[in-house]
Amino acid sequence: MASAMALDGGRFPVVTGMGIVAAPGFGIEEVWRAIEAGKCGLSPMKLFESPRYGQVLAGEVRHDLKQLGAPLRGSRSDRLGWLAARQAIESSKINLRDYADRAGVLLGASVGGSFDCERFLTALIKQGKMRARPTRFHECDSAIQIITDDFGLYGPSMAVATACSSGALAIATAADLIMTGEADVMLAGGADSLSRMTWGGFHSLLLVDSVGCRPFDANRAGMSLGEGAAVLVIEAEEVARSRGATILARLTGWGASCDAHHATAPHPQGAGAAAAMQSALRRAGLEPGAIDYVNAHGTGTRDNDVAEASALKSVFGERVPPVSSTKRFFGHSLAASGAIEAAVCIEALRRGQMPANIGFNTVDPAIGIEPVKEMKPASLTHVMSNSFGFGGNNVVLIFSQPESPASTRPIQTKPVAVNGIGVIGPGVVVNRQIEPPLLPDTLPAHSCGTLVGAEALSPNQRRRLNRLVQMALIAARGSHSPHNGAERVAIAMGTGMGCLEEGAVFIENLISKDEREPMPARFPGSVHNAPAAQIAIDLQARGLNSAPTMGEISFECALWQAMNQLWADEADCAVAGAVDELNKYVLGIGKRWGQWTEQTRPGEGAAAANLALAEKSRDPLAKITAIHLGRYRRPFEAIREADWIASRIDLQSVDVVLSGAGGMTELEPMYEAVISQLSERAGKTLEHQNYKQICGEFHAASAFGFSKAIELLQHGKRAVLLYTLSLRGGKAMTLVER
Amino acid sequence: MCVSTNELKEKIIESLRLQDVTPEQIEDEAPLFGTGLGLDSIDALELVVMLEKHYGIVIKDIEEGRPAFRSVRTLAEFIEAKQPAK
Repeated sequence: MASAMALDGGRFPVVTGMGIVAAPGFGIEEVWRAIEAGKCGLSPMKLFESPRYGQVLAGEVRHDLKQLGAPLRGSRSDRLGWLAARQAIESSKINLRDYADRAGVLLGASVGGSFDCERFLTALIKQGKMRARPTRFHECDSAIQIITDDFGLYGPSMAVATACSSGALAIATAADLIMTGEADVMLAGGADSLSRMTWGGFHSLLLVDSVGCRPFDANRAGMSLGEGAAVLVIEAEEVARSRGATILARLTGWGASCDAHHATAPHPQGAGAAAAMQSALRRAGLEPGAIDYVNAHGTGTRDNDVAEASALKSVFGERVPPVSSTKRFFGHSLAASGAIEAAVCIEALRRGQMPANIGFNTVDPAIGIEPVKEMKPASLTHVMSNSFGFGGNNVVLIFSQPESPASTRPIQTKPVAVNGIGVIGPGVVVNRQIEPPLLPDTLPAHSCGTLVGAEALSPNQRRRLNRLVQMALIAARGSHSPHNGAERVAIAMGTGMGCLEEGAVFIENLISKDEREPMPARFPGSVHNAPAAQIAIDLQARGLNSAPTMGEISFECALWQAMNQLWADEADCAVAGAVDELNKYVLGIGKRWGQWTEQTRPGEGAAAANLALAEKSRDPLAKITAIHLGRYRRPFEAIREADWIASRIDLQSVDVVLSGAGGMTELEPMYEAVISQLSERAGKTLEHQNYKQICGEFHAASAFGFSKAIELLQHGKRAVLLYTLSLRGGKAMTLVER
Repeated sequence: MCVSTNELKEKIIESLRLQDVTPEQIEDEAPLFGTGLGLDSIDALELVVMLEKHYGIVIKDIEEGRPAFRSVRTLAEFIEAKQPAK
């Protein structure tokens, strides 16, 4: 019955709360007062000493985070994210305890704990002092841990690190989790603090306008950096309606694409940006003419604004809706900006006001668009928010009035075929041909040493791309079966630590030389999505391009995102994988915080799987029939965890459970307890194999475990369960069948 | 002073980490970007750093450097014109 459907609301994602902390203020009320007043949020940066760029303007959060109630633990980014999350929860009036296992957190992050780690490095380099505590919060998923712990959330959660589109991608992925029924409630947004890394990095790229950004203006000379966080409470409409929540807006459309063009420069005509806008419109079931306002990415760099304007014209033709960039209010807060601008769009819908594009004076003939010059009242039904990032990473969101009918295309989960697999590990490189033995039982060393397969990379790839990116490329190439010449290819390449070495070398150089002689070529290589972006360029893959970072379950997060693109009919083919490298920085953090023991053997490597819907694949290597993400409780409850698995799959059919304890004291007994519970329920002893005995301990190792599962299936097993726990509280289960 | 193109080529190779390229292989007139050595916009930024480090020339806007980065010859001329008097 149509009327009953409309009342229930179904799985359509709706926004019921939001929190924001940024340069203009804490809370949307304070922020909106600044926007109404047209007040520039930029001022000389004071967060840290900048010997060379001390007078440059930035959007710095001036509030004392402690006074606002932020926890004392965590990095500055984590604490910003926590504050926005708490405010979002309060404003939605939701009792999260009612949804604990069906509620999660999805945060965009790019610098993570960089700012805090830089203090450690500065003290070490300048004074020889070792204050290592901040390195505990280096990883981007630290915020997820702190927020889920404090607010009691046990549903699917992940951090996504796709540079400047991260916050928007987090919101899009949260919507996917709700549409597929994997979650009922998601806290979704982004958080990033200012850091020496991005400050020095964007300056080294000559992309910063020292007097503040002037988006779309003829005299624009670059961006302004900012910091902050915004978090939305997104619920399935049926959940929000049943608890009588006030719905602020609908999230009706979301779309992701990749330029597959260059590490930092956008496609000159904005082809990828246009594709993401079109994808969001298609999903929402809207014509371009339905969009009443566009909140542009509008950074103020020469290239972005020209490319974005060109993309807008190609999507909207002669009738480009009113457009404004709100970057001069906030600065460009990187991973937070997509979420901050989503909050701005929702508030614009609610108030019927279009924010001004402050900083604009003169139309640039190369752009040919005059943005909204002063705040204007307007009747807004559908608004669009654009976010574009390094690696040509584009994400577009569409928010609509609560009472507007939802026609968002549903997502149907289905079995997914594995059509190819590529692995690079110590002394091993494997591609699609699964000839026994795929993976040797013991490996000569745990470092990959000279990368096998690197000789096939181009001279420029070998020269420019760091080791982590090269490993990911080799694995992805290995997985990419030639017959898969699909047009729409999505890439999700997870990483726990990212390009830690590249980033650390870049920062150490900045600090020791007082920002002189920076290393611009290393900066784009240090972002977590550098592997995914380079794979996209290499394979010319223009679909979603994601880099989830979630410790030991980074691979499964990537796998989920990739499979979701197939379910949602946003891709015909997807490559999902994970990569991590071994270097002195990873060793240092692992030894100090990773609970490593005498038995822990550090490793490195990458693995990638080539995926398509099973119904569209002929002769696949294997089929993925279940994948679920979540978080476990502390103290650990083995019975509850076994329930979580047993209620989702047929244990009888499982031949082998693959896990990756890696010799870590805390995880080892947890795996054992759950698997023994599962054996009891299955009425048979489930065979248990630990793949880390082969590949060593590293965050991306479960990707290696996945390739081991494929090998077992090739050798006669019928179904293999890959079960992964992370030290920071994440869990994942993946069932792979013949 | 006159800028040695050979020395300049060595500095280009060093700063861009060009592998298997010798100064002799780089022609004075050959384009550095696009074709030729196949350099891109990020290499241009590395050249900006190189110019400051070795020649004391500060470039704040990449457009300013663009004509100079056409070839080794144009770069040498740019350095000669810009270099602080010694």
